[in-house]
Amino acid sequence: MATGGGAGARFQLPEIHSFPPFFTRQPNEDTWKEQRRLWCDLVVAFCRHHRRSALAVAEAVNEPPFSNPRIRRALRVDTLREVVDELVSQGHAAWTGPKGSARDTCLVFWRKPEVWAAMLHQWAADRGLCNTVLTLYELANGDDTADQEFHGLDYATLRRSLEALQSQGRAQLFAGSSDEDLGVKIFT
Amino acid sequence: MRKAVGIGGLRRREAERLALSRKGSELARREIEKLQEQVTTMKAKLEAFVREHQRDIRNNPAFRVQVQRMCQLIGVDPLASRKGYMAELLGVGDFYCELGIQIIDICVATRPVNGGLIDIDDLQQRLMQRRLRGSEPVVADDIKRAISQLGPLKGGYLIVEFGGRTMIQSVAREMNADTTTVLGLAHQTCRFSVDDVHAALAWDDYRIRACVDDMIRSGIVWVDAQTAGMPDYYVPSFYSAASKRN
Repeated sequence: MATGGGAGARFQLPEIHSFPPFFTRQPNEDTWKEQRRLWCDLVVAFCRHHRRSALAVAEAVNEPPFSNPRIRRALRVDTLREVVDELVSQGHAAWTGPKGSARDTCLVFWRKPEVWAAMLHQWAADRGLCNTVLTLYELANGDDTADQEFHGLDYATLRRSLEALQSQGRAQLFAGSSDEDLGVKIFT
Repeated sequence: MRKAVGIGGLRRREAERLALSRKGSELARREIEKLQEQVTTMKAKLEAFVREHQRDIRNNPAFRVQVQRMCQLIGVDPLASRKGYMAELLGVGDFYCELGIQIIDICVATRPVNGGLIDIDDLQQRLMQRRLRGSEPVVADDIKRAISQLGPLKGGYLIVEFGGRTMIQSVAREMNADTTTVLGLAHQTCRFSVDDVHAALAWDDYRIRACVDDMIRSGIVWVDAQTAGMPDYYVPSFYSAASKRN
């Protein structure tokens, strides 16, 4: 996962990231649970720092943080899948790709869609933009949202957040020809 | 004295014996009184000393250790009761109590990673990190005392010494001699492989693998399977202590 549009400061890797066994799936189940917890925390923090969400498992293991070239260790693909499965169960990730496909790509929610949903709703209410149709593009890239944390958010996460808002009965989505064109009306 | 014979003699010998034993008791009693006086004086002097040097005792671990040894020699245990006068004088009653609680916290927090076996250096480093700046420094001796004073909370906390190194075990378990020996091997490098154990101890494969499996089952080692050759087994607490030292 290359860095992209993140904070200026470098991401601080935790001490355990230099511990070679951290990259081997531990045989002791209790130890593994702790290892997995540490990886989950690391993934979420890393994604939050770089404001990145999309993860392709097979490629990701070749790059930081899943690979540590300094100690010549890298997580195996099936281990990373186990980590993502745990994130999914916590609501911090979702497998993407066609239903029934191998778990290859996922979205990491470094902030949960429900939380984004609340922020979007608040913003719409504050700007008096409820009950008007807005596009995903406007929400992610418009001048009106320049000062908002969800500005620059990837479309996939934004879409999921709006879907969450819709299932709460607080918005209505209108399909467009592409994600960018996706329209939403946020209710008061 | 003329040797006594007959009943009169018996009675006289009886009277002498009584007189002597009374004298003996009196002597003994006088000696005991003198001794008691000396002990009281010594205690008073020790108290005065401790009062005068209270701050140094709290802030200087080496000095604190010496004073405590002195107390022990005189037969005064400053920690015997938290409300004891010496504990209050030394002002250390609370110190060891707080330290004990901090130790438990750290052991519980690190248990998922180190399986409840923590190197005393690792523990000490974490204590120093955790304690507020300006609070008293803590040395290995303090840790050992704090643990011995845990009282009802002590259950399962055991100090394991091997080859001059010390670890604290916070999970009740049977730690066999083979495990302790292998831990001793790993202390410098933080890790070991089956080959390392074989080279150092000439154990047979079966014995080494049984020991390793036991250590994995106990959660006290992590496996690194990405080595060039055989896997390495790491003791996380050793690694943690060493990495902080560097």
